[in-house]
Amino acid sequence: MQREEKQQDAVLEAVISRVNDLKTSIGAMIFKVENEYETLNWPNFLDNFALISGQLTSLTKILSNEKAPALRNFTVLPLMLKPDLDENLARVTEGRLTTFSHDIVPDYLRTKPEPDAELKMMQLEHKANCVTYETAQKQVAAMNKVVGHVWDLVNKAREEWESEAGSRSGAAQTFSLTDTPLLVAAISMGKGLKHTVAPGAMMGGPPPGPQRGPGALGPPQGPPGGIPGQMGPMGKAPSAIKTNIKAAGQMHPYR
Amino acid sequence: MGVTILLSYPVPENKTGPQTVDLLIKRIGALGAVQSGQFLVDCETFSSGPTMGGPPRTVHVLHNSEQPAAVFALLESPGPPPKTVPLVADGLFDLLMLKMSSIYASKKQTRMEARGTRFEIADFLVKIGTVTMSSNFKGVLVEVEYRPCFIAGNCWELMREFMQSFLGSVVQNTPPPYFQVHNRLNDVYQPLDTIQQYLDHFASYRKVAGL
Amino acid sequence: MAMAQQTVNTAIDSLTAALKSNIIPNQEYFLQGSILDSSVEVLLHRLRGLCDNVDTNLETFHDHEMCFSIRGPNNTQPLQLRVRRSLDHNGMPMQLRYIGQPEIGDKSRPTVLRNSIDIGTSNTVVEFLTELGCRKDFEYSAKGYMFRKGRMKITVFKVFKIDETRKMMSSGGFDALSPLTHSYLVELSVLAPSGQDAIADDMRCFAEQLRPLVQLEKIDYKRLVHGP
Repeated sequence: MQREEKQQDAVLEAVISRVNDLKTSIGAMIFKVENEYETLNWPNFLDNFALISGQLTSLTKILSNEKAPALRNFTVLPLMLKPDLDENLARVTEGRLTTFSHDIVPDYLRTKPEPDAELKMMQLEHKANCVTYETAQKQVAAMNKVVGHVWDLVNKAREEWESEAGSRSGAAQTFSLTDTPLLVAAISMGKGLKHTVAPGAMMGGPPPGPQRGPGALGPPQGPPGGIPGQMGPMGKAPSAIKTNIKAAGQMHPYR
Repeated sequence: MGVTILLSYPVPENKTGPQTVDLLIKRIGALGAVQSGQFLVDCETFSSGPTMGGPPRTVHVLHNSEQPAAVFALLESPGPPPKTVPLVADGLFDLLMLKMSSIYASKKQTRMEARGTRFEIADFLVKIGTVTMSSNFKGVLVEVEYRPCFIAGNCWELMREFMQSFLGSVVQNTPPPYFQVHNRLNDVYQPLDTIQQYLDHFASYRKVAGL
Repeated sequence: MAMAQQTVNTAIDSLTAALKSNIIPNQEYFLQGSILDSSVEVLLHRLRGLCDNVDTNLETFHDHEMCFSIRGPNNTQPLQLRVRRSLDHNGMPMQLRYIGQPEIGDKSRPTVLRNSIDIGTSNTVVEFLTELGCRKDFEYSAKGYMFRKGRMKITVFKVFKIDETRKMMSSGGFDALSPLTHSYLVELSVLAPSGQDAIADDMRCFAEQLRPLVQLEKIDYKRLVHGP
């Protein structure tokens, strides 16, 4: 018995956390729709949907897990109703529900439709049963015609929209055509990552010795140590880097 | 994995290898040991060709049936300073050595193997096996593991007493040289230590063979 | 007594058997692309929607990769070996990886294919390779996100140079990383035993779903060498 209770607690906890995730996602989406409707684009909106749908799937997975107790077999019994303000309840529901009173409870703990709605449903079902077969067929055909028409309209709009989207491709570039080969070359053969330069040519940091500093790399300089002398090699160093990298590149085995 | 000690058991003059193994099995059986499967430790040695420049480097690749998913590689580098670099890797490392066969060639004739039977007796695991080099008999090795302890210094006396009970005077009164040379008496014992001991023994068998 | 008769196979025998029955994942199918820093959030969002690991938080990684090579006799192609270690999880096994030459193949082949051997190793691997005669060609650090979709792995990461001048410091230079570009590299890959080409088509389909955000393509490595 205790084990079952523990399991139930665990499942409920998991369900609550998933529902909270879902709530945050939906909240974020509503926020986007309300506040960013001017900049929000369709793919972005669909991505939001995909996220929510993924979360729904994972929620269903938990609920349909065989370890999960069948929640519908549990009864919720309101023990006490009162019209006063219940701070605890308000906190738990994040302010959506402040009292646990007679006019609210039937709505929140409802498992069947409202009596009015139930009556209306019955009337409609009765009406549907009275229609003859031919009339029903006719109505279905008419409905299909209307739906088909709308379908055509949507398709046409889509074609137009797609051709329009195709014509203005590249308007919002999300990737750089030059960066891909650059990055791939870097991680596959070290392009731009190899340290072929002597430490003296590094920017910053003091030169290793007072005389044979960075100047050793470049062409002969004036008297070393002076400020102009230091400026010189700084300017020269990049060219040394370039040629060195090129040489290394040519040595490389890929052909 | 507890502290493990590996000993070479000299084959008496008037006996063959299998006879010696049978004798040891009989003795450990008399102590109440129960047989529990087989074991195998093998060692293949690769060395670098002349293209690498400098003195040749040697890689010993060992497998131990006690750690079936692992490959142990010990690289002997001429240095300077000369040193041995160990590497523990998963099973695909063997594939990599195959890929490097043009750089590191296997010396097939020096492939060594210790193969035999495993016994359990209380907290001890005893393995008695014969050593072969490219299927020529080389000697008899006895491996004794005391499973509850990880520090060799703490259980050497106990292990010595147990080993002497069935191996006799072959067991010295001081810990084996491996533990003293590498100063491993007070460190946590690792599977690699067993491998090192096997390699040391294999190397001395090879030396006897003049290879 | 049946136990006594049963002999132990050598590791090499088992490996040969595994190779014969083709169960060792020694091939990598992959596609590559990149995305600008400014758009990476959109991509991550979409990947979260598409991939399996939506339940958990974004899976991040920060790795240090070193690329070694060792030359064979007679100027044959050097062997490339890579070592990867995690910078956010100390003490985890390191990864040693052999990667062969990428094969582009003809147009009908949906992805690039290369041989690959992935080996988990102890942390002595760098010293081991160095003493083995390998030379460290270059290194970098990769920081980003990882997603899974079935057998597919999708990584979105930035490539950083490692600052040589700060290498001697306790942080190893990993605290002041300079990115190589303003883009994240996006890789879609599957490790599989050879001959499982069907997975490559699945990858192509998946890549389609990331368009036009990212263009995952077969990058021609031969062209990279002679490119700008």
